[in-house]
Amino acid sequence: MVFFRKWQHRPYTHVAAFHSRPLFATSRSGIVTMALRLINHALRRQLAAQLPRNAQVGSVASVHTLDKIGKREVVGYGWNGTASYADRVDYPLPPIRFREPNNEINALRVKEQGDWKKLSPQEIKALYRASFCQTIAEVQAGTGEWKMHLGIGLLFTSAAIWIAILMNLFVYDELPVTFDEEHQKAQLKRMLDLEVNPITGLSSKWDYENNKWKN
Amino acid sequence: MSTWANLGLQDSSSPLMEQLIFFHDHALLILVMITVLVGYLMFMLFFNKYINRFLLHGQLIEMIWTILPAIILLFIAFPSLRLLYLLDEINEPSVTLKSIGHQWYWSYEYSDFNNIEFDSYMIPTNELSNDGFRLLDVDNRIVLPMNSQIRILVTAADVIHSWTIPTLGVKVDGTPGRLNQTNFFMNRPGLFYGQCSEICGANHSFMPIVIESVPVNYFIKWISKNLNS
Repeated sequence: MVFFRKWQHRPYTHVAAFHSRPLFATSRSGIVTMALRLINHALRRQLAAQLPRNAQVGSVASVHTLDKIGKREVVGYGWNGTASYADRVDYPLPPIRFREPNNEINALRVKEQGDWKKLSPQEIKALYRASFCQTIAEVQAGTGEWKMHLGIGLLFTSAAIWIAILMNLFVYDELPVTFDEEHQKAQLKRMLDLEVNPITGLSSKWDYENNKWKN
Repeated sequence: MSTWANLGLQDSSSPLMEQLIFFHDHALLILVMITVLVGYLMFMLFFNKYINRFLLHGQLIEMIWTILPAIILLFIAFPSLRLLYLLDEINEPSVTLKSIGHQWYWSYEYSDFNNIEFDSYMIPTNELSNDGFRLLDVDNRIVLPMNSQIRILVTAADVIHSWTIPTLGVKVDGTPGRLNQTNFFMNRPGLFYGQCSEICGANHSFMPIVIESVPVNYFIKWISKNLNS
């Protein structure tokens, strides 16, 4: 009431065209305010004309996805407001039905309005599958795709092993003579005599007092 | 020297290399711990079923995982810098060796005394004795006294070579027209092997380096023997 009285002290308040008043007091002249209001409403009229005439009441789906859903009913917001179906554990209620309605489903929808105890298990499942692609259990169960990846990986691994075997058999030269048993033993003896790597390496494992390897 | 299936660093023959091994083990331990932690976190992602659509930030944990790596880096940086400056310590070498890289052998000069010079070629595999080390043994080894500071000047006559002995922690490039100097100290006797470490042509893999570390009196005997010959 106090506020209304304050309003009346301002000039040009009698020309408030749409019974609305500004949120805060400005010093703009009333003619400019009226002009701005007219422009605002004209713009809104043009925007409304651009929206599809058959947009469903309460729908917030954007224009470009509404074209693609056919006769499927919009039933919610989904995760970003577009009309596209996906099974997601973080947004479990998709924005559109999964399947387009047919006569059977429409009949079940009518029956659904009544007592649910009168619906048979098959009818309940039919209603569910009309609205959803997978159950939560099916979504979480996984696809078993990892088996394909593992199999292909093992195929390539075995191919690599085959190549290694064939290369060793047919391509590589003989090992140098120093690799045979006699040479290796002589070299090892020389390494121990030289006390090579005596701190934590080879010679640290040899018992020099008893001429044998340490335990 | 390297023994068969050697995975880690060779045992040190020099106190500086010993410090390098300690630092390497210390840094590697930290790295292994970080890798295990990150690997565990990545692995557990496979089994995480939680979803929080409204997760924006976590100020406390973000502070922790910024401060903690900084502290870990300090634990790496302090020993690293200590060792870095330790390697540059001034000392008074008692022997100076000059090492010149050629394609494909090393030549050495001891100019402290009346010049001793010789070439050092790899022993070919077909001339190797039964207990010879393939691709490592040479005909003339560098004889040096142990427990003495050694100065080495490395250069090259043709292309860039690199003179290295892993067990001493020494690697110096030999560049034509340039003398690179470094010091080392051997604290035990024995044979220390190295191989040319800068690609220098066809036989880059076949010009090894062998140091024979001997007590001082043996070294003096060797010098006098070679002076006369």
